[in-house]
Amino acid sequence: MNPVIEVKNLSKWYGNVLGLNDVTLQIEPGITGLLGPNGAGKSTFLKLITGQIIPKIGTVSIKGKKVRNNYPLFREIGYCPEQDSFYEELTGKEFLLRLLSLFPYSPPEAEAKAEQALEIVELTKEKDRVIKAYSRGMRQRIKFAQAIAHDPEILVLDEPLSGLDPLGRRKIIRLIKEYQKKGKTIIVSSHILPEIEAMTKTIILIHQGKVFAQGDIHYIRDLIDTHPHIVSVKCDQPRLLAEKFIHEDFVLNVKFSPAEDSLLVETDNRDKFFSLLPSLFIENKIEVQEITSPDDNLQAVFDYLVGK
Amino acid sequence: MISIDKKSAAAFLDSIGKSFSFFFFLGKKVNRTKVFILISFLPVIMAAIIKCIQYFNKNYWLEDLSVFSNIIIFFYLQFLILILALFFGSSISSEEIEGKTLTYLTTRPIPKSALILGKYSAYALLIILMVNIGVILSFAVLNIDHLLDFPRYKILLRDMGVLTLGLICYTSFFAFIGTFLKKSILFGLIFSFGWENIIQYFPGSTQRFTIVHYLKSLLPQPVRGRFSFLLFRLEPSSTGTAIMMLLLITAVFLGLACLVFSQKEYILED
Repeated sequence: MNPVIEVKNLSKWYGNVLGLNDVTLQIEPGITGLLGPNGAGKSTFLKLITGQIIPKIGTVSIKGKKVRNNYPLFREIGYCPEQDSFYEELTGKEFLLRLLSLFPYSPPEAEAKAEQALEIVELTKEKDRVIKAYSRGMRQRIKFAQAIAHDPEILVLDEPLSGLDPLGRRKIIRLIKEYQKKGKTIIVSSHILPEIEAMTKTIILIHQGKVFAQGDIHYIRDLIDTHPHIVSVKCDQPRLLAEKFIHEDFVLNVKFSPAEDSLLVETDNRDKFFSLLPSLFIENKIEVQEITSPDDNLQAVFDYLVGK
Repeated sequence: MISIDKKSAAAFLDSIGKSFSFFFFLGKKVNRTKVFILISFLPVIMAAIIKCIQYFNKNYWLEDLSVFSNIIIFFYLQFLILILALFFGSSISSEEIEGKTLTYLTTRPIPKSALILGKYSAYALLIILMVNIGVILSFAVLNIDHLLDFPRYKILLRDMGVLTLGLICYTSFFAFIGTFLKKSILFGLIFSFGWENIIQYFPGSTQRFTIVHYLKSLLPQPVRGRFSFLLFRLEPSSTGTAIMMLLLITAVFLGLACLVFSQKEYILED
């Protein structure tokens, strides 16, 4: 299959700060997940491939054409930026309609496309409210809508799920998958592995400006699964819970918080840990208040993988 | 070859039109425009106060057209058009960069120079309307007893023309400044109330390095009234030269603004 996006020896730095370092890769149709901790260079990569910033070294091409200042190419590209910025005085519909007016559409065509995009992201009821009155989730959805409104062949989505509630995330993930079925090319960035996992098996791992790995998600998942995780469980009987856990071979360490209202469990098998947890709550009538994973972020995983 | 050029020129003009439509709509909605509409109507209030004083105090006599000219010179030419052009002109690119909305524009199938030209046209039209509506109302208030005295309208039209030229010229200059300076407002204030206000009074050809020199060259010399000292030492250029220079300055700075905006890399800081 011919690559849609091709980058060669791409490097970018901002003053003394390295943004991206010697990245060469090809992206084919389908969903490609760009995974990396915050500051890894994901947004820099996406801005480079959409021609918003200029590489210091290297080239970017989309369908064999250069990107920067090649404005006709943007009929085929939809970009959802990470930043939460809008023309705040416009309503949701005006925002879409005005941006669509910059495409070669007639006013009725632009109107129809705006309405369709609003319907897709389920903002039809709120279309006449000004964006500054939108909730975080609604702002994220209208940002997504402007990227898809012109039905582009290539979708570049920078952290499209941030700020969305679980239901909103599921809807956007479903939409992205639908786009994949239409044969489109989608690049989606995130620092949360399960989000990317829910969309695609093809990932690019990016860390400290370098492509750390590229390919199928399974092998990285295997590595991550053996990475010791710390889970914090806030409940009314942390010592009782600790007693139950201490016998399990997948539990490496158990600690209590200084306030003694929560338990910190270190495990090398998250799946087993989380499958046992609910039954322990029920059998021992433990009232749970909160379950969090203090180190459940990509930075910890990457630190572990790089160290390994 | 010619037909291709014609086609691309038509496409470029169409892009400018789309950009104009986008930003004229947006410009009408932003709060800044509402604030500046109020400011641009201050001379109307001033005119009404003068007229009331004149009406109630018969001993107080002031020739209406003289008052009108003074308002034009003092408030519009030396203050309002500079402020409007500065805030609207520099914001053409800086508000997109600071507001991080630039991404939405640069990922559309439209040339960056067309975005600048369209937004410039939209903002220039907005401020031209603001100023000229204020001027017409001020004129009407001050000349309420002579509204059928048609020769007076020649003066109104001349002053509106001068202010319009001033607005398009200053706006293009500040549009250019806004494309590459982060603190374009500060620079603009220094330029407007430093350079423009001081250099215009320098004798000889130095005053020709100001925009206001060419604008004042289009007004009659000297102007009667208490503010006529503002034109002291003006060594006016001819009308033709003044108009040509103002249009040339506009074209040069607009061209430069398009060039810088198209080539410069804008990093939207998180």
